[in-house]
Amino acid sequence: MIFPFDSLVSEHREAGLLMAVLLGFGFGFVLERAGFGRATKLAAQFYFYDMTVFKVMFGAIVTAMLGLVIFSQLGWVELKSLADAASSSTFLIPMVVGGFVLGLGFIIGGYCPGTSIVAAASGNLDGLIAFAGVIVGTWIYSEIYPWISHFHNSNDLGHIYLYEILHLPAPLVAFLVTAMALGCFFGAEKLEAVFKKKLNISSSYDVPMEKINTPQNRKFAFTLLGSSAVLGIILLALPKTTVDANWKTQEISSEQLAMKILEKPWSIRILDLRKKESCASQRIPGAECTPIETLKALNLFEDTSRVDLVLVLDESQEQRSKSITTAIRGYAGKVLFLNNGFEGWKQYALQPPTHPGTFADAHAIASYQVRSAIHTMVTGSKQAPPPAPRTIPAGSGESRKKGSGCSS
Amino acid sequence: MKSDQHPERFWNPYLAGIALGLVLLASFLIMGRGLGASGAANRIGVTLVNSVAPQHVDESPVMAVMKEDGAHPLDDWLVFEIFGAFLGGAVGAYSAGRMKLQIIKGPRSTNTKRLLLAILGGILMGLAARLSRGCTSGQALSGGALLSVGSWAFMFSVFGGGYALAYWLKKEWL
Repeated sequence: MIFPFDSLVSEHREAGLLMAVLLGFGFGFVLERAGFGRATKLAAQFYFYDMTVFKVMFGAIVTAMLGLVIFSQLGWVELKSLADAASSSTFLIPMVVGGFVLGLGFIIGGYCPGTSIVAAASGNLDGLIAFAGVIVGTWIYSEIYPWISHFHNSNDLGHIYLYEILHLPAPLVAFLVTAMALGCFFGAEKLEAVFKKKLNISSSYDVPMEKINTPQNRKFAFTLLGSSAVLGIILLALPKTTVDANWKTQEISSEQLAMKILEKPWSIRILDLRKKESCASQRIPGAECTPIETLKALNLFEDTSRVDLVLVLDESQEQRSKSITTAIRGYAGKVLFLNNGFEGWKQYALQPPTHPGTFADAHAIASYQVRSAIHTMVTGSKQAPPPAPRTIPAGSGESRKKGSGCSS
Repeated sequence: MKSDQHPERFWNPYLAGIALGLVLLASFLIMGRGLGASGAANRIGVTLVNSVAPQHVDESPVMAVMKEDGAHPLDDWLVFEIFGAFLGGAVGAYSAGRMKLQIIKGPRSTNTKRLLLAILGGILMGLAARLSRGCTSGQALSGGALLSVGSWAFMFSVFGGGYALAYWLKKEWL
């Protein structure tokens, strides 16, 4: 996986913000050049004589969609985890209602929020006023939120995508969407011709759109989109080189976990998925008690810290259960399952370890030291000192690993 | 700079759509997120309210979250993005000879009516964008490209709402 560049969100956040300005610049510039800084052109969509809004919007959606699908087929990006991180859940009824109201606002105000910014930047006062209205509207929403929060959060279907509900591979859905869009583009041309005549509009543009909207330009655009869609389908035949990367999980042994807890507890986040009472009575140092039902509510895909996630299950819980796989989907870092779960940890940490003897190799002694440090941390007890040495090899003596400090 | 000769000379809409799609694609690939606008408007609003009534912001769960851990509401990717959009729009307009202090309105409308409707429309869109978790840029465009079901439902509804009211607003636009 090459894309996206996670560091722009975490370590190199400033570079990410600079990128925001650059991408925004491209966004605003293209919108302006499409003519969306002018309310009359935007409103024209709803009178059929100028379908630019539809053409630009669907052209953009299809282009980005095909780009992502092609990159995904080539293994350069993981489509679903990108989508989960980059989009909101589907709150179906709120979004349908919200969309309708936004449409009302659009035809009343003449802009959408993004185009109002572009209009304001062009000196159009109506755009500035519209954007001010958007600000006011979002603020009013915050004020009335307590009364509508139930509706706001209703009908949460989670992250669902058209290819999932259609049970088709994404490139095929992308192809169908492209075909539909191209068909609609032809239809839009016809509608424009009909309504321009009906409303006697042709004189409103001093450079007639016929000069800009030439057959050659159209052919180029349609060919580009059409062939990209076909390419997406062809790439379906490519063996997907990346494993379903939603499942980039591995296992971590109790000893490896103990070492992390002792040495760099900040580099991991331990989630104990067992029942709350079990976790409360006995848990791994630094673990959060997050019973499996609460996992989804953690919104792990929004956690950009990218620390390793360690999931601790008990014997009855399945690693590949739906609740876990959906909750960790889109998580930016590594997801590790504790090998043998909490039971394995109990055996590791709660039995006092025995010293391997003074002639044991350094690795065995180190393991002993880690294990007894964790044992001390977990039980608060000290183990028996190691057997008296006949000689004094390096590394033996009292186990005094500095681990009791920063747990959690 | 081009003079005011052709204020209506725009790009071919299909090519503009592809260009916009490439910007959106770049955003996905580089940043792992799409574009947006209404989220920034929300943050600007919170910043303004915070400057006159900070305790009120702290008491509101949906507003206070932007100040969590001492963060500043404007310190956000989207805010920087629409700043860029503003610049891009300005440069685009200026270089096309379209930069002018004016009020764009339909031939039969008046300035007052236009501005009143502009703010009314804006308020409705602000409310709607919050409910939908985004506007046409964030939800329809970005979510649509990702083939999210909610985004497509949202998008159809937007067109539905616009067409539903269009007949009664003919005097404003035609």
